[in-house]
Amino acid sequence: MRNIFTYILSLVGFFAISQNKQILYGFDDIPQSLLVNPGSKVTQKKHYGIPFLSQIHFNGGSSGVSVYDIFKDGNDNINDRITQKIFEMKNTDFFTATQQLELINFGWRARNEIYFSGGIYQEFDFIAYFPRDLAILAWEGNRDYLNYSFDLGEISTTGDFMTVYHFGLNKKINDKLTVGARLKLYSSMFSYRSVNNTGTFTTRLGDENSENIYEHTVQNADVSVETSGYVSLRDLDGASQVTSEILGRAFFGGNIGVGVDLGFNYDINEAWSLSASALDVGAIFHSKDVESYRAQGTYTLDGINLIFPPLNEGDPTFPYYDDLEDEIEREIPIDTIQNSYTQFRPVKINAGLSFGFGRFDMSGDCDCLNMDGGKLHKQNLGLQYYAIFRPKGPQMAGTLFYHRRLTEYLSAKATYTVDSYSFSNVGLGISADIGKINFYLAADNLIRYSNLAKAKSVSLQLGFNIIIDEE
Amino acid sequence: MNKTLYQSIFLVCVCLFFTACIKDTDFDQTEDIALTPVVELDLIYFNLRASDFFDSINSTPILTVSDTTEIRFLDDSTLQESLKRAEFYFKFTNSIPRNFQVDFQFLSETNDTTYVAGTFVSEGLPAAPVITEYIQNVEGDDILSLTQANKVVVSVTIPSSNENLEGTLNLKSKTTYFLEY
Repeated sequence: MRNIFTYILSLVGFFAISQNKQILYGFDDIPQSLLVNPGSKVTQKKHYGIPFLSQIHFNGGSSGVSVYDIFKDGNDNINDRITQKIFEMKNTDFFTATQQLELINFGWRARNEIYFSGGIYQEFDFIAYFPRDLAILAWEGNRDYLNYSFDLGEISTTGDFMTVYHFGLNKKINDKLTVGARLKLYSSMFSYRSVNNTGTFTTRLGDENSENIYEHTVQNADVSVETSGYVSLRDLDGASQVTSEILGRAFFGGNIGVGVDLGFNYDINEAWSLSASALDVGAIFHSKDVESYRAQGTYTLDGINLIFPPLNEGDPTFPYYDDLEDEIEREIPIDTIQNSYTQFRPVKINAGLSFGFGRFDMSGDCDCLNMDGGKLHKQNLGLQYYAIFRPKGPQMAGTLFYHRRLTEYLSAKATYTVDSYSFSNVGLGISADIGKINFYLAADNLIRYSNLAKAKSVSLQLGFNIIIDEE
Repeated sequence: MNKTLYQSIFLVCVCLFFTACIKDTDFDQTEDIALTPVVELDLIYFNLRASDFFDSINSTPILTVSDTTEIRFLDDSTLQESLKRAEFYFKFTNSIPRNFQVDFQFLSETNDTTYVAGTFVSEGLPAAPVITEYIQNVEGDDILSLTQANKVVVSVTIPSSNENLEGTLNLKSKTTYFLEY
């Protein structure tokens, strides 16, 4: 028990983040910005991601607690700190982790001026809401909570491990408007979810007419866990077998899904431009290797009623305990179901409004970054909005950004983000072209980098590409 | 000049990123984390009538009645390790005009007695039931004995009885488990 608790706590702050790529969004110098908005402006002629290195993305966050909150070096007791945090946090606080590794990424501008791009990436995504009532019950027990209804519906968590194959188009429709779309095929390797649970657990002090001192009642419980890709792993022996089985599913061996990304960029006038995108509008259809568990019912436990049956010497009495267990299993049965199910992907919405100023023209005679006649601004200032649809509703973030082209080879973007985690998230991204090699690095919560333990979220993307500009 | 400046900024950013650290924390405190829930749980209950203490067919008093139930979670290894204290609370409501001796004998799976407890219950009247409360606190070495058991034998003894005896003896009980993980 303690080990599990420690493990969860260690995850806090290292792994909790929510897929927001606020630095990458609109950062047109980096080809991977097309994955955040398929309709963003494309400045290059071709790009190739360096396999396995073109995008390494990691994002983790915990909205209510940081590692430092629990493990700080102090004289007070760690258990007091945990108690304090359990009561401070709400049932809408969450822990999240996302990791993406791009295997392949490429793109080219065809003769018809459509920029095609495609690739393969692997994604792990996890979210667990803080089940506050159950944490209190585990931490303190029920003695001080008579007549309080512990909410079983606070259990809400999902986890996915998948490979994504994608191919997209990006076209400049006219001087003002660029649009893009990307088709995605998901190959789910492992997935679970436990959402939309209901029910309460209450210990009431009985009155004179009650059978016993207390009534322990589970009311209208309906708790389920759906899994896909789990059953066949259960019988495997050892980590190496599990790993090879999971990797075997990466190439359409698992459950298949389909989705789209849509986006646009619209230049309102010379200075202002508006953009938006919707990502992962789609679903995965889990039909293979599916197993779900569901417990539902209502039951009140009063203890064991002894009835002192008249017995002859050596006769066994009633099997009270077995009867009790049977009764509980009858009233709140746990069913194992093999039905297939559809899982919608968490849709992500991005939007940005940008004000550009200062003409970017490094060389005087050759505006090399701007061959298609559009205007590139030296500096951009603007606002971004981000939302991801999670089991308990959308999580949102607002960002102020400043983007600057420093030289022909180097540009940078600074962001200030307000989200569920904090009001003090400053991020910085840089994109450097060294010859044809493009390197980018984007990280947020920089203020916390001097001590990551105090960070409630950390987000990082980095990668290497080969970019071939228009000649 | 500008290029040097920008390259410096670039380097600083990269350094900042790779020198990110975690400090002022002490993960050895993990050892000190202790969950200490206090769990309240019903135990057994019964309603014995005065007539249960008299065999009307043979016209003989039955001075002791007893019954047994398993409490299978008691000798579970997790509970054996984590139970620090147990407090039993028994509440008798007696409307039979007799005293009672009630004994609780905890037995292991092999039927060896591991722990015993018992109390005296005051006599009452059919019109005026009398409540007797009894608290048995178990801690220290006794916890070890208690958690070797997985069943309890409850014996109720009446000093004398006859066919005209009236009233009921009711028991409600619960246990408070003080746990530490």
